[in-house]
Amino acid sequence: MSGDGIRILYLGPEGGDTHDASQTEQQSRAARQYGAEFVQYSGSSEGELIEALKDADCAINQGHGWDASLFTHMGNNGRCKGLVSFGHGYDGMDLETAAVNGVVLSNTASFGTEEVSNQTMMHFLVCSRKFVLHDKLVKAGEWTRQYLPPMGHIAGQTFGIVGIGNIGRAVARKAQAFGLNVIAFDPYRSSWDAKEYGVEIVPTLKELAERSDYVSPHVYLDEGTYHMFSDDFFKAMKPTAYFINCSRGPVVDEPALIRALQNGEIAGAGLDVFEQEPVDPDNPLLKMDNVAVTNHYASYSEIAWERANTQLGEEAVRIADGYWPMSLINPDVKHHAPARKDPISWEVMMANR
Amino acid sequence: MAEHKVLVMGIDENDPLDYERAEMADLDVEFVKANPQSEGEAIELVRDADALMMRSTPYQGEQVLRAAEKAQVLAVYSHGFNQIDTDVCNEMGIIITNGAGMCMEEVSNQAVTMILCLNRQLIQYNERTKAGKWGRDDVPPIEPIDQQVLGLVGLGNIGRQVARKMFNGWRMKVIAYDPYCPPWIAQEYAVEQVFSLHELFERSDYISVQIPLNKETHHLIRKEHFDCMKPTAYFVNVCRGGVVREVELIEALREGKMRGAGLDVFEQEPVDPDNPLLKMDNVIVAPHSAGQSTRSAWLARQRASQQVAAVLRGNWPSAGQNPEVASSLQRRDRMQSLEPKLEASREVLPMAVLPEG
Repeated sequence: MSGDGIRILYLGPEGGDTHDASQTEQQSRAARQYGAEFVQYSGSSEGELIEALKDADCAINQGHGWDASLFTHMGNNGRCKGLVSFGHGYDGMDLETAAVNGVVLSNTASFGTEEVSNQTMMHFLVCSRKFVLHDKLVKAGEWTRQYLPPMGHIAGQTFGIVGIGNIGRAVARKAQAFGLNVIAFDPYRSSWDAKEYGVEIVPTLKELAERSDYVSPHVYLDEGTYHMFSDDFFKAMKPTAYFINCSRGPVVDEPALIRALQNGEIAGAGLDVFEQEPVDPDNPLLKMDNVAVTNHYASYSEIAWERANTQLGEEAVRIADGYWPMSLINPDVKHHAPARKDPISWEVMMANR
Repeated sequence: MAEHKVLVMGIDENDPLDYERAEMADLDVEFVKANPQSEGEAIELVRDADALMMRSTPYQGEQVLRAAEKAQVLAVYSHGFNQIDTDVCNEMGIIITNGAGMCMEEVSNQAVTMILCLNRQLIQYNERTKAGKWGRDDVPPIEPIDQQVLGLVGLGNIGRQVARKMFNGWRMKVIAYDPYCPPWIAQEYAVEQVFSLHELFERSDYISVQIPLNKETHHLIRKEHFDCMKPTAYFVNVCRGGVVREVELIEALREGKMRGAGLDVFEQEPVDPDNPLLKMDNVIVAPHSAGQSTRSAWLARQRASQQVAAVLRGNWPSAGQNPEVASSLQRRDRMQSLEPKLEASREVLPMAVLPEG
């Protein structure tokens, strides 16, 4: 079998039950199908981890600590050529150090696209229908319509998406089903690409703020997006507009958002993420009737997580067997690593094995 | 002397190069327009060029590429770049860019046109009706397209448009064979991925091919696949003739392995007037015109120009087609990053306002 001699090293959460193979049935599925070896890391010191990496072709990280210096060790050692990490965001990952050391990085791209876009639509509807306030009023025995206006019609209103990647596109598709006009700011996308999704690309973030009745970012967190939404942005928004965030907390300057809500510069917010997580119980956002909150679970469903777990294993086998991963997150590594085969579907890899 | 020399090959000598100039307005560029009449002439022209922009010219072979010692980028105006030797460009450190996305609406519309014409028997009815014949008996039956299966070979920019149009518009079930397509993209377009060409050909009522022509796809589709088809199914090709073994397609049509075909492309173009495909009642044809529209004509120029501008500014272009070139680039110390820079989108750049088709 072509998996012979391939070894995948799995890093689970520190202090977790690292020896129990039944806990990693999904993560090891690809390696088992391919005939590769799947090893669960059980060490506790950095020295042990460095040694373990020397005996593996690719590592999977699902909640284990990871210091960028490990990439340097991998670069110097030469056998372990890749790291696949659970989740979507790769903030906190030193892409450049990995690249210069020839380490190929991958994530579980798009595993929660349906879930995150659904969470976004839920927050948008909860905001628009003023659901949090009325749920509270009715349960408190107050039966009134006096707090309803102003309330948008949704159909014909404008939904502004920042970042029109996998998730942004899914949100656009769903928002269009409600009759919303969808506009987007994404400098990496050209207008004719966006036309495909019936989305109008606007040239500036400010224009998006001014025109939107609902704003939802779907960007990853890096230096370019950190505090992308601050006082200027919220002041440019309509006072009747809502801000949704199911991406990463730090893309928003949270004190600025709190000020905007307190000053009535925007009508409300729906938040799955916060600058500090777990969120401080005294955070003023938790006390507002026009703010709906959830605890960073937008990507969750059993199917999504099973898919992410399975994808971890498939990407690791691809990297270990000389393919690029389907989701390469540090393309600069192509400067530093030897040539690889283009990534192909798992089913075709199995058939060609 | 200008900092960059951009050679535009295969262009009318009076062409004002409006799009090319607009996209490179901030760069110190000298444009050279040329229509070389021999390979030797082409070799002399490319020698000191920093960028090559190739419209229709026969002189783009290995010897010409090897003479382009200074060239950082070769931009084709078309979608396909099968005429360019990728290995030589990788070796020379030349980035190849294409017009990705410049005609995806047009080509997908052509595929849909062919599918509908075949389904509705339009060409046959048109001929009969104009000939004064009001009969419907000798034309094959029209199947309910919303209950049929569309099989796509290739689910890239164009394949996705075909999928979107036929699923959203006609409620067809769409399946696709594309081993390079991530599963999440297929899911987004409500396409079921199949993992063998044979399965695709067995299950489909219409097969439409939209893949690039390269070493891997040359004659990809041949007798063994036509043999799997339903006798009521149709075959559509809007990409490149060379991906199909044409003699075997002709044979399959003659033997009734399928009900008909829609072809925009041929192995030899212009097509031989004696090609048997042109004589068949159940075959509809077009002269490799799938990519054409008044919009794609200028979009091709704008896209090619943006790609060249990005490279001359030191950035990886958004439609770079040979990432393997990176190792030679590193030796030549050119690119800082393989990720397209912000300038990929025209809207964020202060540029000359151009007519939008």
